[in-house]
Amino acid sequence: MIYLDNAATTGPDGRALSRAREYLTDKWFNPSALYKAGFALQGELKKARSALLAHVADESAFGLVFTSCGTEADNQAVFGYGRRGNVVTTAGEHAAVASSVAELGNRNIAEPRFAPLNADGGVNAEKLLSLVDEKTSLVSVIHVNNETGAVNDINALARAVKQKNPRALFHSDGVQAYGKIPFRLGREVDLYTISAHKIGGLKGTGALIKKKTLPCRPYIFGGGQENGERSGTENVFGIKAFEFAAEEKFRTLNEDFARLRERGGRLWESLDKDIFVRISSADASPYILSISAPGLRGEVLLHMADDRGLVVGTGSACSSHAKNRYSRVILACGADERTADGVLRLSFSAQTTESETAEAAKILNSVARELKSKML
Amino acid sequence: MKKVIVIRYSEMFLKGKNRGFFERVFATNIERALRGIRHELRRYSGRYLVEGFGDGDADRIVERLKKVFGIHSMSVALETGNGMDDIVEAAIAVSRPFGSFKVETHRADKRYPLTSVEISREVGGRLLAHYKALTVDVHDPSFYIYVDVRENGTALVFGEFFAGADGMPVGTAGRGLLLISGGIDSPVAGHMMAKRGMSVECLHFHSYPYTNLQAKEKVVELARVLSGYTLGKALYTVSVTHIQESIHEKCAPELMVTLLRRFMFRIAERFALRIRAQCLITGESLGQVASQTVEGMTSSNSVIESLPVLRPLVGFDKNEIIERAVKIGTYDISIQPYEDCCTVFLPDYPAIRPKLKDILAEEEKLDVEGLISEALASLEKIDL
Repeated sequence: MIYLDNAATTGPDGRALSRAREYLTDKWFNPSALYKAGFALQGELKKARSALLAHVADESAFGLVFTSCGTEADNQAVFGYGRRGNVVTTAGEHAAVASSVAELGNRNIAEPRFAPLNADGGVNAEKLLSLVDEKTSLVSVIHVNNETGAVNDINALARAVKQKNPRALFHSDGVQAYGKIPFRLGREVDLYTISAHKIGGLKGTGALIKKKTLPCRPYIFGGGQENGERSGTENVFGIKAFEFAAEEKFRTLNEDFARLRERGGRLWESLDKDIFVRISSADASPYILSISAPGLRGEVLLHMADDRGLVVGTGSACSSHAKNRYSRVILACGADERTADGVLRLSFSAQTTESETAEAAKILNSVARELKSKML
Repeated sequence: MKKVIVIRYSEMFLKGKNRGFFERVFATNIERALRGIRHELRRYSGRYLVEGFGDGDADRIVERLKKVFGIHSMSVALETGNGMDDIVEAAIAVSRPFGSFKVETHRADKRYPLTSVEISREVGGRLLAHYKALTVDVHDPSFYIYVDVRENGTALVFGEFFAGADGMPVGTAGRGLLLISGGIDSPVAGHMMAKRGMSVECLHFHSYPYTNLQAKEKVVELARVLSGYTLGKALYTVSVTHIQESIHEKCAPELMVTLLRRFMFRIAERFALRIRAQCLITGESLGQVASQTVEGMTSSNSVIESLPVLRPLVGFDKNEIIERAVKIGTYDISIQPYEDCCTVFLPDYPAIRPKLKDILAEEEKLDVEGLISEALASLEKIDL
């Protein structure tokens, strides 16, 4: 199977898993316990926290709270810090942020404001800033768009937001960026979401990176773990696997980035331009290539490719509700319905090989030509 | 004193000489519904008794039996000796502690020293003495206590009737093949035929890769819920993908649905004969969509060679169908938004009153036999 749906989830990193294994089989104690075996795990968590943070941020300014997933971290950021006035976000957010911000409106907590996108899926910065005013409590902008790979310059956006309203907090969902694109968190970013299973870690492990100066606003209450920021016994095995997977990923981040940029480019070159159009821009994350076969249905192509051993993602579905049929993000990019219907998302990992991408292009051309001939 | 469940059946007494057959099938169906729960089933004077079950199982048993056709009503009763002290003890256990009540007695054992009225009076009097907050109201009581004095020296005491599904025992009226889609109607149609005693098998047409696995899973779920009533054991699926592609390639677009339905009916009839089903069942309701006009039905029926096509919903409004779907538990599954039939090839304006002459002319362009055998070769059986 050629797996090009790595933006959905990646295969766990075998090296990280073997290193973390002892936390499943031997060191399974409760890290909050007072006896030695339990207490020792506090130190292990501390190491993981510090290592994960150090890859992207200054440890003296930022802390890191472990959560059960990226979605939970997004919810904690939105519900914890978007508590009055208005909350400004983009039409290109992952549902974890988009639905949470909309819910703030439903609960009459804060007015949700959505900034429009450019054609590549990046936020229109000017429009975003025009939505920010003195009543804005939180701004949330996805770092790398999970459907198109568009990279938002969050450091610059955060700076501009703070110039307009210094009291507004800035959050970014970095799930598709962390461990994949080179960057450091700037001082103006307050909150940043990461997730383990997009970089070879396990599902069920995420984290919220937050400025140390922010107040504690837990989303889940209980025994007071994570300094009271996130109660619930820590998933030590998952967290250590996250730490080790990130270590592997960041070690080769720049090479992977450059290699995939080239590989994705060649894949695009090999696709039949009479059928496919490109949605991702040239400077999008090289881990995501969004394309469309206008007039052909993405999900049908997905099934046909699946039957030939190629796994890809899609932005459209065979849904009888028009509302669910097209990706709201792709429509927000300005795509017409024919284009939105034909969207396929190819997403790579560092393990994706040249022969796989070459074969993928062949399969895509062949299934699309076949379907097109049937549709005529 | 032990808990038992009394089952009263519906129409079977009408069946004269066939009664033995009906009762055998009925008992088998009850046993099947109760599979996995320890119990014994016994017959007594025109009723059935479920007994010997675990303490907490009475509600579970009643819930399962609510789906068994042929049951008119059920009661959870206490079985006790027929001495007055025993009967009163049971009545106290069944009674509410306050409110107005009436005791009704049925006395099958005519040798019993008291008449029905005397038994009621005695039980009522002793209940009043036990629960001070009770009052008797023989005209409009807030609850009843029923006493059934049987011929074998025991009595049954109970307070409630649970409605059964009525109808006839499934398996007493032949076997049908239901054309099931993921929609609201077809499961209801299957349920209605099962209610009249027909055992129902399900056939589903899909057009993967134009439809997805969720859509198929949805139909599996529907068939599973339906099988609780129909005792069907499997869902059969057939791919009509190539048929749709061929029609799209060669025929007039407005006849897509009409032509496709004729293929479905042909395939269904052949498959029905193979599994010894005696009719086809569809969820069509007159005028509901473009293909469900009388002309559309004529066009589909005209390819059928020997079996009747039953359309139990033909005169139903959509809201009547929905009401039934909600009741039998298929509605919430049916409204999941997965397309069960490919919409990629659907025309914007389907023919509403297709003429047979045109249809036949279009069909001439297709290798009908080849497409049917190919489709039948894609048959899959999914055990429920």
